[in-house]
Amino acid sequence: MEGRILEHPILNFQRKARVKIFFEGREIEAYEGESVAAALHAAGIRVLRYTPIDGRPAGFFCAVGKCSACLMEIDGIPNVRSCMTKVRDGMQIRRQNKNGDLL
Amino acid sequence: MRDSYEVVIIGGGIIGSAIGFNLLKMGVKDICVIEKSYVSSGSTGRCAGGIRQQWSSPMNVRLAMRSVELFKNFEKDVGMDIEYKQGGYLLLAYTPEEEEDFVKNVEMQRSQGLDVEILSKSQIKSKFGFMNLEGVRIGSWCQSDGHANPQIANIAYSMAIKRMGGDFITHTKVESIDIANKKIVGVQTDRGYIRTNTVVNAAGFESSKIGKMVNVDIPVYGERHQILVTEPVNHFLDPLVINFNHNYYIRQTKHGSLLMGQGDANPMPGEDLGNSIEFLEEMSQKMVRDFPLLRNVHIVRQWSGAYDMSPDAQPIIDESKDLSKFIYATGFSGHGFMLAPAVGESVAEMIVHGKTITMDISNLRMDRFKNHIEIEKNVV
Amino acid sequence: MMYDAVIIGGGPAGMSAATILGDKVKTLIIDENDRLGGQLVKQTHKFFGDHEHYASMRGFEIADKLLKEIQKKPVLISLSSTVIGIYPQNTVAYVKDGQIQKVQYKKLLLATGAMERQLPFVNSDLPGVYGAGAIQTLMNQYGIFPGKRFLIVGSGNIGLILAYQLAQSGVEVKMILEALDKVGGYEVHANKVKRLGIPILTGHTIVRAIGDEKVEGAVIARVDKNNIVKGTEREVVVDTICVAVGLTPLIELAEQSGAKVSYIPELGGYVPLRDERMRTTNKDVFVAGDLSSIEEATTAMMEGKIAAMQMVEDLTGENLEDKIYDDLNSLAIFRSGPKSAKIRTGLEKMGINVPKIDLPKPQRFERYDDSKLHAVIECTEEIPCNSCEYACKFDAIKVGININSVPSFDPAKCTGCALCVTSCPGLAIFMKRSEDKAATLGIPYEFLPLPKMDDKMWGLDREGNYVCDVKVKRVVKNPNKTNIVYVELPSEFADMVRHVKYPSKESPYVCRCEEVTLDEIEKVIDLGVTDFEELKRLTRVTMGPCNGKNCKMVVLGILSKKTGIPISSLSHGTSRPPTKPIEFRAFLKEGEE
Ligand SMILES: Cc1cc2nc3c(=O)[nH]c(=O)nc-3n(C[C@H](O)[C@H](O)[C@H](O)COP(=O)(O)OP(=O)(O)OC[C@H]3O[C@@H](n4cnc5c(N)ncnc54)[C@H](O)[C@@H]3O)c2cc1C
Ligand SMILES: Cc1cc2nc3c(=O)[nH]c(=O)nc-3n(C[C@H](O)[C@H](O)[C@H](O)COP(=O)(O)OP(=O)(O)OC[C@H]3O[C@@H](n4cnc5c(N)ncnc54)[C@H](O)[C@@H]3O)c2cc1C
Ligand code: FES
Repeated sequence: MEGRILEHPILNFQRKARVKIFFEGREIEAYEGESVAAALHAAGIRVLRYTPIDGRPAGFFCAVGKCSACLMEIDGIPNVRSCMTKVRDGMQIRRQNKNGDLL
Repeated sequence: MRDSYEVVIIGGGIIGSAIGFNLLKMGVKDICVIEKSYVSSGSTGRCAGGIRQQWSSPMNVRLAMRSVELFKNFEKDVGMDIEYKQGGYLLLAYTPEEEEDFVKNVEMQRSQGLDVEILSKSQIKSKFGFMNLEGVRIGSWCQSDGHANPQIANIAYSMAIKRMGGDFITHTKVESIDIANKKIVGVQTDRGYIRTNTVVNAAGFESSKIGKMVNVDIPVYGERHQILVTEPVNHFLDPLVINFNHNYYIRQTKHGSLLMGQGDANPMPGEDLGNSIEFLEEMSQKMVRDFPLLRNVHIVRQWSGAYDMSPDAQPIIDESKDLSKFIYATGFSGHGFMLAPAVGESVAEMIVHGKTITMDISNLRMDRFKNHIEIEKNVV
Repeated sequence: MMYDAVIIGGGPAGMSAATILGDKVKTLIIDENDRLGGQLVKQTHKFFGDHEHYASMRGFEIADKLLKEIQKKPVLISLSSTVIGIYPQNTVAYVKDGQIQKVQYKKLLLATGAMERQLPFVNSDLPGVYGAGAIQTLMNQYGIFPGKRFLIVGSGNIGLILAYQLAQSGVEVKMILEALDKVGGYEVHANKVKRLGIPILTGHTIVRAIGDEKVEGAVIARVDKNNIVKGTEREVVVDTICVAVGLTPLIELAEQSGAKVSYIPELGGYVPLRDERMRTTNKDVFVAGDLSSIEEATTAMMEGKIAAMQMVEDLTGENLEDKIYDDLNSLAIFRSGPKSAKIRTGLEKMGINVPKIDLPKPQRFERYDDSKLHAVIECTEEIPCNSCEYACKFDAIKVGININSVPSFDPAKCTGCALCVTSCPGLAIFMKRSEDKAATLGIPYEFLPLPKMDDKMWGLDREGNYVCDVKVKRVVKNPNKTNIVYVELPSEFADMVRHVKYPSKESPYVCRCEEVTLDEIEKVIDLGVTDFEELKRLTRVTMGPCNGKNCKMVVLGILSKKTGIPISSLSHGTSRPPTKPIEFRAFLKEGEE
């Protein structure tokens, strides 16, 4: 059960405009106002990067910008906290391998 | 902690620890190092870890060269991997005056046996294409320069000392030194009295306070220097780069983070180790300009430490003329880490043989300040 | 820009303060989210508290209400703004739109709240192990299913409420674990969750998460004085593990502002020292809410108001004593109940008092006639479960009328069919036959990859320790996905081995940023390193981009446990700016490249 909640006994989710984002080149469903980590999660993507030392898969942990577990390469820039970055039309998102390349 | 030692070393920074280690190596087992806080709590714990031989004074060049010899064997000798890497040092010249100094220094350094060369701008460009070299005239390059992790080195020495039978006593502060008949007889700490006849003052930027305890004037003071570290990125920078003109140094650690600092325009004397946001602002502007690839890299931490400044920015290593067996090794002026192995060896020799054997360091004696002061210029 | 009052943190504490300061002095409130409300915006349940403080409203509705009040006043609100440090000359530096901004204050109110503690267990770094707040953000803010089947670790109010919220959104919560011997949160919250059929296991913790790329299950076990109790390990199939083991005040900015902090666990860990009116040891700096003690929205709001009124008195000389006394009084009444005993102790004494908990001793199992294949039931907990009783067609297993009873087992009636093994949701039943040298062990297995015939695997004991190599003899695939892996092993280990796995790194990660495991930390401590500062330099724990926010307390706990030095006597390092990683480019002046 990945994906978005449509009915909820308390909350009423009204989604904003659809935006096109790309994860590893593949288009992913996303809506304005969502964070990158949230949109990826909705698409069933939990592994956001592989860690630098042991190469272990890692996902988000706090989702509020406090732990740096969710670093990804977004529009060519490494080490971006995907939980605090809102989706933007045309955004290119990649899993980060290790520390991220500057060159 | 016992109640008497042959030698008491005050200060468990890299210098005190190196001296202790070398004494044990030379067979003097009855020693202790006294540290008022934890191992590497002083300047050593704030240090950037650069190890360079490209100095403007021949003495510094020779000492650093000897240290490099010892750093090469550090892991085997002391027993821990300290992330030592001979990735070189690149110094950049922007003005005709700097260019002239570089050429002169390289000539002097080569005469001391150092393999160092002048690089043209295009040579630098081809080596380090990612740098913005606007305004650079030439560079000075020494491949055998490098860097290591000073904190681990400090802890490595402390552990070796304990392993070899010496005592390394932390969280213990020396409060006074006891003298009878113009001779040292003991040291009072906040955790007890220790009888000894030989005291080494390796208290870093606080060594003048130790001097005061026995009325020996040690002209060393602390000066705040700030430094920052980024998140790790994949390896791209081998050497430590020094830019005197733009006033910074930068290196990449083994772990991948970039470590960088500058000399503050008006360095704060004293022991206030606060941080300023202006430092982040200045460094950021310089980095984005000279290393455009760092634009989006995150700073994760800033801190500051004290340089242990002496009047000529060179170490003071001597035995007091007024109080025998009061030895001091201090005033390293922001380059004590790289000199530590050689200094540790020389000071241990002074204690064991009454004079240094491996190196002649007589011109680092205190009495040089009576004469003309020749300031080491290659300091960031 | 100079403000009379700067408020950092727009949760209930900061917002309440803004409603008072807003009319009286030039006020700026800064929060890093794109709306005010802090924790409140994620809460869909009705709040407790007194009527005056919006009792019985839902959390997000309280946030809306406070926001409307603030909007009536000339308060400047800076959203999506992360404060990265407090600097000399009363300077607050924050990043907004990727750009650094600096403001100065005459009086500062820190209401930065708290952040979640993490809990290290094997594979706790796997994607799918999330903080409670993260799950609430996904579910209640973005409307995204955070997962399918949950394990919640921690039965404080946050864990209990989260379980309830998850159930509301239609996903399954397998269970809640609580290391202590009683439920941590309010009984009513607990009952609400229990009646939904979610068991709360006290005296339990998570041993490990299972999975390669993401969570596929977990091994849980009882704990006794912080140790896993042998024989109680069992596997649960979950895809998300929620860590709700409490909050730690976010003290970094308070420390940077010059406020002294002290370790008072009753209040949540290191907290700023402050007086009754929320003034810290720096006379210009006040704190309120979870930053000053982990408590409630209600108390956060009261504290915010008291601090704000004192700040107004300081700044304008206006006399608000009557109102301050009123609020101090309500606060005292709110805190007079039994659930506030900890807070009262924390506020009263500065001394540290780690509570001692006595948990049941490990239970022993009878030995059976081992020459034929039979079930071994290791269901030691009184959990509401009798699937084994129903699975058994031969009357060998009885749970009885009380579904919480531990099953009783008559080996004489057991035919070795293993239907019980397949059906047990707790995976607490094994099959065993022991001959002279070799034994056969049937282990329920719900993970991928499914072991293959003749594979060599590790046999692990109840604590996950390597016992011996085992050889896979037969794999029975079951439609319910509880497969049974039969392995051959030396018979002396038949009662020890309870799990099989392919070899992998075993020690849990403590510091996620620098990937330091418990093992590595303990090894360095064993070398004689007893100073946090030295441990840090040798292992790099707490030196990553999160600056130790996540693991510092865990590391101090490990150090304290191994050395016997109380946490309060250990050095805990320095909170250095920036509190959040910040790009170089943020410091460029506008338009500069
Ligand atoms: C930001 C920064 C960057 C630097 N970068 C470099 C570099 O790249 N390369 C390099 O070579 N050098 C560098 N340095 C300089 C280097 O760190 C110092 O020169 C060196 O660490 C000095 O070592 P020390 O042992 O003399 O002093 P310290 O490390 O300061 O040790 C002195 C010790 O004495 C203890 N002490 C003082 N008083 C007492 C007492 N009364 N009783 C007991 N103990 C006492 C202190 O607690 C302290 O631990 C840098 C320094 C700073 C601040
Ligand atoms: C699941 C759950 C259920 C709860 N149920 C109840 C209940 O039923 N009744 C009740 O009374 N209480 C309840 N609480 C507790 C209540 O939510 C908190 O006590 C209260 O929110 C604390 O308020 P605060 O203002 O101190 O902090 P917070 O609400 O945490 O707000 C702090 C704010 O500061 C911001 N901030 C932090 N650092 C920075 C920075 N560097 N720069 C900029 N901004 C920053 C944060 O982003 C956040 O918005 C519950 C809490 C949770 C998690
Ligand atoms: S998940 Fe913690 S910073 Fe993004």
